[in-house]
Amino acid sequence: MSRFSYHKPKTIDDALQLKNEKRGAVYIAGGTDVIVQIKNQELRPSALISLRNIPGLAHIEVNGGARIGALATISDIIQHPTLAQAFPLLMEAARRIGSVQIRNVATIGGNLCNCSPCADMALPLLVLEAKVRLRTSETTREVPVEDFFKGPGESCLLSDEIMTDILLDAPDVNTIAVFMKKGRVKMDLAVASVAVLLDMEGDLCRKAHIAAGSVAPVPRRLREVEEKLEGTILSEQTISEAQKIAKSSVVPITDIRSTEDYRREIVGVFVKRSLERALEWSHK
Amino acid sequence: MRRTISFFLNGSEVNVTLKDHMRLIDCLRETLNLTGTKEGCGEGECGACTVLVDGQAVNSCLYPAPEAEGKNVLTIEGLQGSENRLSFIQKAFVELGAIQCGFCTPGMILATKALLDSNPDPSDQDIRAALQGNLCRCTGYVQIVEAVKQAAENMRGPE
Repeated sequence: MSRFSYHKPKTIDDALQLKNEKRGAVYIAGGTDVIVQIKNQELRPSALISLRNIPGLAHIEVNGGARIGALATISDIIQHPTLAQAFPLLMEAARRIGSVQIRNVATIGGNLCNCSPCADMALPLLVLEAKVRLRTSETTREVPVEDFFKGPGESCLLSDEIMTDILLDAPDVNTIAVFMKKGRVKMDLAVASVAVLLDMEGDLCRKAHIAAGSVAPVPRRLREVEEKLEGTILSEQTISEAQKIAKSSVVPITDIRSTEDYRREIVGVFVKRSLERALEWSHK
Repeated sequence: MRRTISFFLNGSEVNVTLKDHMRLIDCLRETLNLTGTKEGCGEGECGACTVLVDGQAVNSCLYPAPEAEGKNVLTIEGLQGSENRLSFIQKAFVELGAIQCGFCTPGMILATKALLDSNPDPSDQDIRAALQGNLCRCTGYVQIVEAVKQAAENMRGPE
């Protein structure tokens, strides 16, 4: 491991001040990405500023909507007594992240700030239209998750900002949610993943929010598919059209985990299966 | 930078002076000479380095040592039964042939402990989910799952 100093500030203001003072300093939350990047010499920080000891930053509050502290671990989210009931999609994505050991330390804020195209927690947050709260020593702003990601490893987070919370509005009661992820093995990073949130009235799709991961530089909404579906009756034909649009609207790459073609195929299939499942549920 | 931290290791308080950039596994193996915890991949994939921190399974290769301050850390060395005998989990692993080369075993056993502490009667699926982050390249997992079931039975005692 390269050498760095390690700091454990107790307040957000102290963390921001340290970051400002120490050239080459990097924040660390759960460390499941940062430590690996340091080991692989992709990151050579002069200092790590830990956000793990700031009281309140891991707090989860459910009150119709929800406020999830950026430092809440994936296990905190899974084990929360009421969060799953309000946002089952969050739970499904959380359960598919890594292993127990990873989920016990990895944080939701870290998953977002790492800005991987395959960030698992991003998909439910995208379709739920969540916002992230970003704080400097003087200002606070709220940014839709959709606008947070700028590219692989890049976000709109400024160097003097810390993500403090993830904010969710109260969910619509009649929505149907599906999350699908394909990894090489279960605990793997996604080859491709899809989250779907539909407002259905019988077979009529009133509103569709669909997001996909690992098939573009950032996790993103599939707007073309949504537009095709909204206001239409879900049928074999519309579902198959949605599948085609999904396949052609994504821009995956070939890398160590999969190929461009396969990812395209999988996203199409996931959109199709999610819609079929939603249709099945709406009949119940 | 160096710092001295104190934490509870296998039930007793320890004071350790360590370098800021050390990981918990470095502190355990190199500073404290507890070499029961193994390093496999060093990036959180294989689980050989699993220890419990405040009762939760974590990869000690991804855990910054300075974060252990004030925490309760349990390693394989701390998992003894009475009179220095094997614990019921270790016994089950030995009896059911869930060990071949043994490199993954300390991690497997601590992940099992974390599981059984929260779920004393796990299904096969629960066991496989709890051990998803622990790779074994010898046994093929069948014996391991059986050993965990046996350990759960041992723990619950005669019915």
